[in-house]
Amino acid sequence: MRRHRLRRTDVDTREAPTSAHQARAAALERTYQRATAMRTARSAGERSRLSTPPPASPGTQPPLAVQAWNRLAFGPAPGDLAAFDGLGPDDDVRLTALVDQQLDPGSISDTACDAKIAASGYTTLNKSLSQLWADHVVADVEWSDRIRPLVETIFVTLLRGVHSRRQLFEVLADFWHNHFSIYGWGFYEAPTWVHYDRDVIRANALGNFRTLLEAVAKSTPMLIYLDNYLSSDDGPNENYARELMELHALGDENYYGTIPRSQVPVDGNGLQVGFVDEDVFAVTRALTGWSLDADPWWDLETGNGGYYYRHDWHDTGEKNVLGQILPAGQAPEKDGLDVLDILASHPGTAKFVCRKLCRRLIGDFPPETVVDAAAQTFLANTAASDQIARVVRTILLSSEFRSSWAAKIKRPFDIIVSSLRAANADLPFIEDHPESESLDWRFYQTGHYSFAWHPPNGYPDFAEAWVSSGPRVMTWRLTNWLVDYNWTDDEYRIDLRAETPAGVRSANALVDYWLDRVLGRTISDSDRTRIVEFMAQGHNPDLDLPLDTDDDVQSRLQSMVGLLFMSPEFQWR
Amino acid sequence: MCEISRRGFMVGCSAAIAGLAGSRFNSLAFGAPGDQDVLLVVFLRGGMDGLNLMPPIAGADRGYYEAARPDLQVPVSGQGAALPLNSQFGWSPDASPLLDLYQNGSLSLVVATGMDEPNRSHFESMEFMETGTPGVAHTPTGWLTRHLQSSVEIPEEVIMPSLSMGDLQPTSLRGDRETVNINDPSTFSLDTGPWLWRGPQRAAVRSLYQADSTLVHVTGNQALDAVDIIELYATGEYTPSNGAVYPDSDFGDHLQVIAQMIKLDLGLQVATLDLGGWDTHEGQSWVLSSLLADLSSGLMALYTDLDGGGAQNFTQKLTLVVQSEFGRRFAENADNGTDHGHGNLMMVLSGNAAGGIHGAWPGLAPGQLFEGYDLAVTTDYRRVLSEILIRRLGNNKLGLVFPGYTGYQPLGVVSGTDLTPDYKGGPGSTIFADGFESGDTSAWSG
Repeated sequence: MRRHRLRRTDVDTREAPTSAHQARAAALERTYQRATAMRTARSAGERSRLSTPPPASPGTQPPLAVQAWNRLAFGPAPGDLAAFDGLGPDDDVRLTALVDQQLDPGSISDTACDAKIAASGYTTLNKSLSQLWADHVVADVEWSDRIRPLVETIFVTLLRGVHSRRQLFEVLADFWHNHFSIYGWGFYEAPTWVHYDRDVIRANALGNFRTLLEAVAKSTPMLIYLDNYLSSDDGPNENYARELMELHALGDENYYGTIPRSQVPVDGNGLQVGFVDEDVFAVTRALTGWSLDADPWWDLETGNGGYYYRHDWHDTGEKNVLGQILPAGQAPEKDGLDVLDILASHPGTAKFVCRKLCRRLIGDFPPETVVDAAAQTFLANTAASDQIARVVRTILLSSEFRSSWAAKIKRPFDIIVSSLRAANADLPFIEDHPESESLDWRFYQTGHYSFAWHPPNGYPDFAEAWVSSGPRVMTWRLTNWLVDYNWTDDEYRIDLRAETPAGVRSANALVDYWLDRVLGRTISDSDRTRIVEFMAQGHNPDLDLPLDTDDDVQSRLQSMVGLLFMSPEFQWR
Repeated sequence: MCEISRRGFMVGCSAAIAGLAGSRFNSLAFGAPGDQDVLLVVFLRGGMDGLNLMPPIAGADRGYYEAARPDLQVPVSGQGAALPLNSQFGWSPDASPLLDLYQNGSLSLVVATGMDEPNRSHFESMEFMETGTPGVAHTPTGWLTRHLQSSVEIPEEVIMPSLSMGDLQPTSLRGDRETVNINDPSTFSLDTGPWLWRGPQRAAVRSLYQADSTLVHVTGNQALDAVDIIELYATGEYTPSNGAVYPDSDFGDHLQVIAQMIKLDLGLQVATLDLGGWDTHEGQSWVLSSLLADLSSGLMALYTDLDGGGAQNFTQKLTLVVQSEFGRRFAENADNGTDHGHGNLMMVLSGNAAGGIHGAWPGLAPGQLFEGYDLAVTTDYRRVLSEILIRRLGNNKLGLVFPGYTGYQPLGVVSGTDLTPDYKGGPGSTIFADGFESGDTSAWSG
């Protein structure tokens, strides 16, 4: 049964009442009817249709190594697929070994990536929050200096995506940035971005969800972005409280709208199964006083830029959050901490967060079975310091993970980074470097620029949102720029001839070599033939091309690899 | 012989198409009598504060308004005073260009619109509104998609039936496989990569995408069509007509591109664009002021640009609707802002607008507010859109565009011919039989 079928008869169709009284009476009646319908629908698990099957995927299941490196990484770099085969005697052992290795990033040596970061000359990435605040906020610096912590984080995120061997950690850092999404270009958000990325998101990316939730709640950019630093008993501001419930914890799938609390079903533990606006108002009150260090409060630059609790701003009255009573006059901060406890241990939160993780790691419409399994792990480990790692392990080692190829399309960032990884590219990611700035601008134009989504719900993670002509064309334009000639430095940005073994020179051999590098799998004969025809340009595809002596042949090789980056097969993961 | 059709029209036709570059498609029926308007949907993301765009200036409601908004109120006199709209309502001086359009009868206002859904979530509200299925999330097609699918057959020679300006295609056009989605036509081009092989590479990539009909293939072809269209027709300089001056903003740039496309006669039927930033939980005064200025000067520029004489009178073929996911809380908060509310203003700008104020005003007395907090909703937003569909776009298939919606009566927002609404969903309803539900990939290729 589908929810819309039920709701179809439920949609009210009356036209405007003639008086406000009638409007109100009608609205109340409709509210009651809708609540009844919603209860029925939700108890039947129809709130969201996310468990419906995706469109059938093209092609056949690729080798597990390819699937794994496209899901828990931003695509394979040279050597990754071969290394997978060396991890054990069969795919089960290999995947388990890879996942366990990736879930313990400290065990993976990342010296090459570290060296590239060190050589990039970043100046803000090691600053503490108070240093960032002093140097980039309090010091009256130019805009470009003010936002440097953000700009350097954007560049180092690209650098790590391409070069870090701790790929799953990078995937999850990206995931949590999207889950706790903040528009990074705000006046106070940009200068404190290093803190948010390093101390909040990355510090907890594989850790405990409750800890992460509190770190976000108390982080300078979030307190400012969603206004909670201003929220007081006299003037509650519900912006953060609403998004905390709807986007960070319980999720929109557990939002019951504005109906009375008494109409929301209650679970076996006496907790409401979802939230209504009354809960939003209660949580708003519970979080009053969660503010920023400053004296006077309105002059942020007098403070150290850190979280500061103002008990004199706190609404100390009794609150009802999801049916649980927070008594009046609790100890300082306790109301808010209780709220985070309730939310982080709520089955609805487990389901919502796990569904999003499955959507990222498996497919747009992950089977409910794997969502349930992940949510069980989530709830069984609420106190564990590696709760998130355990949840991710459940997802990656599930049968659903292995049986679902091509359930996701790559978003622009994924395509850019996976192209650079496949080509073994070594581009600079440095502020003011002309090549980096050009890449940065082209990345911005794809519509998927890092930390640039304005609303707090994060970039969409569904294929349908990314298949329109805007992101497609602007991403193709970028990947073709990657394989193009850099006239300033008089060289190719990525010298693909140098990346091609000396014995590989015929059109057939070149295409097969690069198909294996870029896709790690075979494609249909007709598609392959079309690419070979492009590479051969009328010549016998078995004869060696003068790649080493003819500049036009090299440029054709560059263009052929660019064609692979544009190909339908490269858009899936 | 090369046929020009919308899908894949470049194949084998490049010389013929190239010969048409920059010229108008005068053979199209755009200017002919009886054909349909261009529908332009402007979505104000974040929840626009309609109560401060069109504040009450008299009566009991003024008293409630001043009490609820001691710091944020638009005054009735002195600096920043509301401009008089009628005896009951004023108009924000930050949006004065729209008042000019209202006074010349080109702008209709509909008060207290919205959804019955008791919902103050941005994301669910936008999803519901733009899918046209309040209460049902993740509907696989947007309401504009279903309008395009259910309206009179679009002629084969139409080059670009729908356009969405911005980074991503909006939910209202979700699932539409012909929309051109662009942000900036000047960079929307496959003009990178080793130059010697750009042509052959493009032919090769086209053939790869034509080889199958999965979502990625179909939309890849759509993207290739889009880049062909923009490269061939829309990369040239554009000079607005009639002295129109667009604001120097993304919104102004996007409106200007839409004007250009309308004049190019590519057969445009539907266009969308967004203006975001209306979620004014704090420091609302300054933000709202600059957003209203951007909105109103932009719409004025568009209208002026399109409002020429004779064949250049494109405003007779334009219906523009402005909507937002909800209004804002009646009472201001302590941070010079407003939280999420309910009922809100919709605006319809057209050479065929009736002008005036429409819809039942629910009042601002405590007992009249939705749940005691917000302006109530007295007019379903679908009623306004349905009137445009029927009277301006000739599409009476409300059952397909807004499934479950019945009882339509026109408000009289625009002029046009009334048709009997067809509420049937029936076969072909993309909501109830589609690839999302059946898992059938063939549905993606349509």
